[in-house]
This record gives sequence, structure tokens and C-alpha cells, in this order.
Amino acid sequence: MVRLKARYLLCEVCVSDSSSLQLLEERGIYQAVRAAVVKAHGEYGAARFSIGSSVAYVNAYTGVVMLRFRKVHYQLLWSALPFITSIWSQGKKVQCFFNCIHVGGTIRTCQKFLVRYGRQQLCRMLPHCKTEAEKQEVRRAVLSCSLQKFNVDDEGDDDEGSEEEET
Amino acid sequence: MSVYMDLNIIAISDKKRLQNIIETAAHLGYSTVAINYVVEPQQKKQQIPKPLSASELCEKLPIVQGKSRPIKVLNRLTVVATEASHFRPSSEYKNFDILAVYPKTEKLFHAACMTYDVDIISIATTEKQPFYCKRSPVNGAIERGVFFEISYTAAIRDSTMKKYTIANAINLVDVCKGKNVILTSGVENPLELRGPYDIANLGLVFGLSEGDAKAAVSTNCRSVILHGETRMTALGIIHMMMKKKKSQPPIEQPEEETPAVKRAKTETL
Repeated sequence: MVRLKARYLLCEVCVSDSSSLQLLEERGIYQAVRAAVVKAHGEYGAARFSIGSSVAYVNAYTGVVMLRFRKVHYQLLWSALPFITSIWSQGKKVQCFFNCIHVGGTIRTCQKFLVRYGRQQLCRMLPHCKTEAEKQEVRRAVLSCSLQKFNVDDEGDDDEGSEEEET
Repeated sequence: MSVYMDLNIIAISDKKRLQNIIETAAHLGYSTVAINYVVEPQQKKQQIPKPLSASELCEKLPIVQGKSRPIKVLNRLTVVATEASHFRPSSEYKNFDILAVYPKTEKLFHAACMTYDVDIISIATTEKQPFYCKRSPVNGAIERGVFFEISYTAAIRDSTMKKYTIANAINLVDVCKGKNVILTSGVENPLELRGPYDIANLGLVFGLSEGDAKAAVSTNCRSVILHGETRMTALGIIHMMMKKKKSQPPIEQPEEETPAVKRAKTETL
């Protein structure tokens, strides 16, 4: 058997106001990406996009989004991503941009990267903490980032998210 | 892992927003940014501005994503030239780390490529380039180590501009075969900035190959900065500076020789 190869683009949705990240949802992102591809590459792009593209994962706390494209045309579709300036979700327009942080071949490698990346973000956050309690909380979160508890990884991800919200 | 740079952040008077842009750039993983002061001499009485030093801009520079060093902030001057008299080498140019010229006519483009002492030649992104880039001046510029700049913010803002940007970029890349091109932002708003990987991929739309596109945001920018250094020093070998102590006369201080410019490692993104 030959499997169909895919590329997973791990993107960070950057917004000016972090509270609007809560509005993120899968459908809004899918439609924004599709509209951008149609605008950049026309009907040809739309046809390419309609095969095997999906939004694999959305984390509304950290703003991390995983997009899945076929390997044959992921570069074509990726080149449309910089032209996204806003997302419609839950009836509101959110000004944002996509920043690709990793391109992976499997969900597993993306997950490994994401854990490492989340940990880095926590370390970056540490100097910005104001009170001692916040610092302790971030330190505890940094130590808890690992793939040891592989099966309950989703829980870990959510943990990181809530930390980021606090500061 | 290579070092990404963005050599075009428009200097806006709003200091708060400029700080915000620099913070966003650090978050996206750019380790060097250049604040761009644009001068248009055809408008009367426009003075060459005095650049702000990095410490004046913000007290504490943000740490670059994935690195432990703070972001480096340089100054850049862009002269919009419509007549030959607009670009005169003067002592005011010496305050800037990087010098760029934006020629509006073919004659000036030729002069900029062959004779002007600049680091960057900007290519029109908001209008159709009124002339063709001929092969001989472009080759001359490549030989002299001058780089061509394509900025992408206009393309993000407006779809008509996007057509012009892509058309002009493809025109240029065809002539220079993907060599000596840098991709910069030209942002005035933090939400217009894009990450280095996205921009490297965007280079594919402009007709660059994968390796050239990655070099356009990393190694080529480094070459630009080194070229700017050689302009200020004597070919980058000897650099004169005044010592702060009054008792000693100023002496020549040999600066370490600038290392040879490394070519991009061509690897898939």
C-alpha cells in the first residue's frame, strides 16, 4: 500500500489583543484559508484546496492552528497564507495574521515540536512575571512539559494555554 | 538554523507603535531589524532626519524567539531619486548603517547599479515599474555586491498593488536569476508583519528557487549589513574612531577583518 503523504503546517494566529483568540474556531479558519487561496490562485487554487485540505487542530488558548495539506501542492497553498488579514468567527471580524512555525510530515512530529515550542514560550514569559506566585506557577508549568504523559497530552496543552492567559 | 533579518521597518513618529512592531518582529524570530527613514528630495525642504539610536527607542530590547540574545536594531536611509542631483554623498549619510536608493527612472537605475555607493536598490511595489531592468546594469550591481529589495507589505494591503509587486518582482528575478535579492517588509503596522518562513515561501511566487528564497531573508541580508560596514570603514579592514580619553591622540584601531560572506546553504524548507 502506498499512503497519501500530507504536510501539516503548524501556524500561530497572531492578534493584537489576546482576548480575541477565544473566538477562534475551526470553521472560520477553514473559510479564511479557502478565501485566501481562491483570491491568490483562482479556480485552480480552489480545486487544489478542495482535495485533502483540512484544519486538523485548533487551540483557542495559545492560538496554535494545524493545517493539513497534500504534500504535492502544499507550497502553492502556503503561499496564500501571508495574505490573510482577518478571520470571521462567531459573527465577529478578528484582525490577525498567520505565522507558520513548523512544517511536519506527521501529526506526531508536530506534537513533539509543539510541546517544545510551548515550553520555550513559558521560558520567555518568565522575565515578564510580576509577582512571585506567578513565577512559581510558570516554573511548575515548564517542568511539567514533556511527552511522558503521552496519552493525556491534550490536557498538558490546555495547561500551557491557561498559563499564557494569566500573564 | 539561520538568522533571519528584516531590513525595512518604516520609521513612524509614533514611538509606541514602533516598539510594538519591534516586539512583534522579535516574537516572529527576526534577529535584526532596520528602521527605515525615507527621504524624498523632490519635495522642497526635506531634511535628512537624524536616526534614533536603539537605546533611545526602547530601554529594553525584546529577546529574539528561539535565541537568548536581544534583537539588533539598525538604521537605514532610503533616498527616493527622480533626478540625478537627488543623490549626493554627504556626511549626513554616514549616520546610517545601511543606505538604499529608490530610482524612479531608467537612467538613475543604471547609475545606481553601476556607480552609486549604496547597499540596496529598491524596486517599485506600488506602481508598475516604468522601465525594464536591463541585464548589463543588473549584472554590474551583482558584481559590486549591491542588492535588490522587494518589499511585500503593499501586496498584503491591496490586491492591485499585489499585481504590481508580483509583476515587478518576477521581472527582476528573471534578469538577475535569483541572485542578490532580499525580501523585506516595509511595515507601518504590527499586524502587517509576516514570519520568516512564510516570506521564504512567498519568494516562490516571485519566481525564486527554494534556496534563493531562503537566502533572501537570511544570508543576503547579512551581506547587505557587511556591505554597509565596508562603506563606513576602509573596505572593512581599517576603521578610524575617536577615543574618549582626551590625553591620548586618536589612534588607528584595526578592526577585525570582516569574514568572507557565506553563501546560503541550500536546503529545503
